[in-house]
Amino acid sequence: MKSKRLLQAALQSLAKNKEQTTAARITTNTVVLAGPGSGKTKTLTTAMARSLIEDVEEPRGVACITYNNECAYELEDRLNALGIERGDRVFIGTVHSFALSQIILPYGRCVLPDWVDGVTVATDQDRAEAIEIAYKATINGNDDPKKRWEFASDKRKLVVDRESPDWRGRNPELADFIEAYEAELRYRKKIDFDDMPLIAYDMVARHAWIRDSIRAKYPVLFVDEYQDLGHALHLLVLKLCFESGIRLFAVGDADQSIYGFNGAEPSLLENLSKRADVTTIKLKFNYRCGTRIISASMAALGEERDYTGPDGAHQGVISFHPVKGGQAAQAAYVLGTLIPKLQTEGYSLNDIGVLYRWAKHGKDFVELAEARGIPFVRADNQALIKRNSPVARFVERCARWAIGGWKLANPKFAHLLRDATSLVFGMSATDAERKQIGLELISFLKPLEPAFPVHDWLASFRSKVIGPWALRARTIGEHWSDLDEMIERTEPSGKGSALSIGVFCGDTAGAGALNLSTFHSAKGREFRAVILLGMDDDVIPHPYNVNNPRKLKADRREFYVAVTRAKEELHIIYTEGHHSMFLPELAQRSQD
Amino acid sequence: MHISRVQIRNFRNFKALDVSLTQNAVIVGENRAGKSNFLYALRLVLDPSLPEQARSLKVTDFWDGLDDPFANGGASIEIDIDFTEFESDPALNVLLGDLRLAEDHTTARLSYRFRPDCEGDPKSEADFDYIIFGGDDETRSLPPKFRRRVVLEVMSALRDAESDLGSWRRSPLRPLIDHAFSEIDDTELVKISDAIGEASSELLKLKNISTLEDSLRKKLRDLAGQRHDIDAKFGIISNEPSRLYRVLKLYIDGGLREISDASLGSANLALLTLRLAEYEWRRAQNDQDFTIVAIEEPEAHLHPQLQRKVFRSLFAPGGTSHQSLFVTTHSPTIASVTPIDQLVIIKDQPDEGSKAHSLAALNLTKEDREDLQGYLDATRAELLFSRGVIFVEGPAEEVLLPGFAAAAGYNLDELGITICSVDGVNFGPYVRMGELLSLPYSVITDWDPIAGKDPLGWARTRELIVDIRRARGLKELSKDQVSKLSSDEAFLRSGALKYGLFLNSATLETELAKTPALADAILAVLAEEPLFGKVLKKRIAEYQADHSKISAERLMLMIGYVGKGRFARRLAERISLLAPPKYIADAVKHVVEKLA
Repeated sequence: MKSKRLLQAALQSLAKNKEQTTAARITTNTVVLAGPGSGKTKTLTTAMARSLIEDVEEPRGVACITYNNECAYELEDRLNALGIERGDRVFIGTVHSFALSQIILPYGRCVLPDWVDGVTVATDQDRAEAIEIAYKATINGNDDPKKRWEFASDKRKLVVDRESPDWRGRNPELADFIEAYEAELRYRKKIDFDDMPLIAYDMVARHAWIRDSIRAKYPVLFVDEYQDLGHALHLLVLKLCFESGIRLFAVGDADQSIYGFNGAEPSLLENLSKRADVTTIKLKFNYRCGTRIISASMAALGEERDYTGPDGAHQGVISFHPVKGGQAAQAAYVLGTLIPKLQTEGYSLNDIGVLYRWAKHGKDFVELAEARGIPFVRADNQALIKRNSPVARFVERCARWAIGGWKLANPKFAHLLRDATSLVFGMSATDAERKQIGLELISFLKPLEPAFPVHDWLASFRSKVIGPWALRARTIGEHWSDLDEMIERTEPSGKGSALSIGVFCGDTAGAGALNLSTFHSAKGREFRAVILLGMDDDVIPHPYNVNNPRKLKADRREFYVAVTRAKEELHIIYTEGHHSMFLPELAQRSQD
Repeated sequence: MHISRVQIRNFRNFKALDVSLTQNAVIVGENRAGKSNFLYALRLVLDPSLPEQARSLKVTDFWDGLDDPFANGGASIEIDIDFTEFESDPALNVLLGDLRLAEDHTTARLSYRFRPDCEGDPKSEADFDYIIFGGDDETRSLPPKFRRRVVLEVMSALRDAESDLGSWRRSPLRPLIDHAFSEIDDTELVKISDAIGEASSELLKLKNISTLEDSLRKKLRDLAGQRHDIDAKFGIISNEPSRLYRVLKLYIDGGLREISDASLGSANLALLTLRLAEYEWRRAQNDQDFTIVAIEEPEAHLHPQLQRKVFRSLFAPGGTSHQSLFVTTHSPTIASVTPIDQLVIIKDQPDEGSKAHSLAALNLTKEDREDLQGYLDATRAELLFSRGVIFVEGPAEEVLLPGFAAAAGYNLDELGITICSVDGVNFGPYVRMGELLSLPYSVITDWDPIAGKDPLGWARTRELIVDIRRARGLKELSKDQVSKLSSDEAFLRSGALKYGLFLNSATLETELAKTPALADAILAVLAEEPLFGKVLKKRIAEYQADHSKISAERLMLMIGYVGKGRFARRLAERISLLAPPKYIADAVKHVVEKLA
């Protein structure tokens, strides 16, 4: 009942936006095209909550597939605010976890001829050895097996349906290579991440009863960030939704498709939205960026879109900062001049996002910030708490609970327990197992001062609790080693004081911390002020891509994503005389 | 959906029970055979009202024949319940779909284990624990709320009908009326309650009433004193709009009496009907997806005619596929109207524990089913309650046999042996049923020679041997064996005896003719019948003069006039010292010896 009231309020808050309201209430197959800052997540979660409350009767539920775990966490938080908890009626997770927990683990043993209990996810070493062995058994040429595997891997992601003529029609030797690789993994009782959607697709394609079972559980399927999910998901969606009667609600923005290297393809979303049996809704407003930033972003993309700010939107600021010298000089300028200036204008460190294209471009900046004692949080592959790692996120939440979160039940212990149980036992644990996990967790999580050294806490958490859990885990593919990495990275270095558990989980007592991120990791986030580091002519576009229209477009999309993270101020830093070829147009448009 | 199979091992009466079921089940068995324990095994897994504490069994719950539940690492109690046909309903598919068997995705299994949870041999009860899981995989737990959506409701022995109907809290009417009221406009209710309030105050204003009220108030005050005055007042019913719904009651006999005042039988019937209506309503409200209604011994307070009527309609085909009825009974009346596929017989077998046999396992053809169903109906399912049975061709044997048996020194009633006439020679399904129920039986059939051909009894006997071997799971006979059975009469006859098939050399009539003393005894009983007229008397005289003229058919007609029971008693008196035909005496002896 509480969630019904919350839903009414959420629908009410969409009332001024006709497209959002239509999308939240629609009951046909739908694609929502949602540009930056268009209120996509709000629309998606409201539509999910409404479906769950109004359309779908217990014990049936709804599922939402997201690009990564981080998106899943965000959606979960938003749904919690609507009174809806993830659980037996609500699935939120990546396409890999959907494939594994909703298809392969429940039904695999009924239909897979070589199924064995106790399959686990292949380690990097397993994969490397399997590639080696498969290469020898099939191609056995003079090139590097790993290089050849890159082509094979692309084919594997692209040609999902092994019965299609494409599989053996072109490069049959790669098909042999892939099949030998997979056979080797199976022999070792392993599957890899790319296997998961492929096996799931094959099972769903072959067995009507599996499709029926999924439709029974989830008569409505939501897909977030459709443009970033590859061919396997696309075919899975076509099978489940257009051949088996599950209703589809897909959200995405082809302009923000930046995972081409992972098999993503913007045209899949475009084709979907052109289907006659799909209603396409385009969200028009950009609530995030100032109007100048919106028009500048068109220049970044190199194409026109009819996005506008809502009535009375602010203009925003775009400014260009040529710096003499390379990365180190840019870092010094930003930390020494630009950020202090922003702080005097009322921006706290939390409000500022410093974005760079690749992690290596952040290196000098990180070192300088460390040296000057400016707190920051990294959201890239060097992040202390990997945003995408369930283990790391769980540990972080436990830390927050221990340093005082327990007082306000934020996070709730029940949620910690649920997450712990699902880390260790997956979708289904017995009452006794759940009880045991709870006992172990509560006996470890004693209240702590925020100043307590996090390294010691993490090490003790590992030896007393998480280590033993990892040993008896029934789940496959959890990255328990993420905790090892965190312990390693918090090792006191001698310079400066040891990291405290308070700072570790973002409790910086109001001072805040700068947000550091690559373009890719910044996707889906927003900051009041964005600083783009190193926008030089050898960074974006990449010189190799200048004459390749398709790749140039992909680089433009990345730039577009970066530019549209800014709400009020966009600061572009570059080496004087070596600016990116995208900048002049941007500068011109920002004057309009 | 329905429960397709139940397996119970090491629990109370059961060493190893394994029974297949259809939509409904009528579980028939003697007292203490384990009918209630069978239901209790289902409750351990499915009954939401069973407290956690009760789900954990005790060491005393192990099968009695088990020597030592603590030895050899400890024994375990195992219950497996299989469901099928859940896939067509999405809600049921959600609840059961992840609990499918690896080897059969159309079957979902729920399991209960009470087993040692310790290192080495368990030392005490505390070392045992229970676990409930699905899909034959201990790591698969039941979906949350499973037992709230697939519900086992037990209506025990219908003894509390009156109090259930009388108490608002337990009344099955409560949710139905609640719901009906919830959709009524408040202003309408206020209007009605005002009107009721007015009417009742008019009543209370009547002089006689107010005088009585005053005198009672005074008495109470005098007794308790001013300080403890309880301020008693007359009233008719609450006229609070929000409590108006409690005013509604179900009346019977044209409104003269409340349902809780009904006779026990009617109250029980009403309770059963209302409960079923409640479950249907709960399903319609999406409170439940599937209801298993277990009714224990409903015969206790239902008149036999009502039993027939009620259960015939409850078991009629075309009911909802979202409900299963499990009825335990020792009422032949209920058993006789149960569709044969839904009958389950629970029987104690020495050293084996109780076993359950579902008649669905007979795999009957339509004709066979009609035969058996008709037989069970006509005889009030007597066969299901007997300890042994002699299958005979027709009413002549049926009537004569008790007498013959008595002559051989056996009282069939006391022994619990039933004579079952198959009304013809289609012994097959009956024999298969005897095998299925592990019922000691023999078959008495005629050799039936006909001119120029093999006697009819020959092929009949050979086919029965084949049938019985199949029912017992024995190897199919070789071609040679079959051809020897078809050509060598001595081989056939000696074989038949081994399977409890007893043959004469022609027909019952010729047997009687060959045994003059018996024929005389029968004819003497008939001749004594004072009501017979000239024609019949003449025929009896004819038969007495020449036994070879006896026609079994006509004999039966005459016996019918006398009355079968009366005839059998009189005959028994007369033939107590005479020996019956040998094949009949052998057939009786065969069954009696198996009983011992």
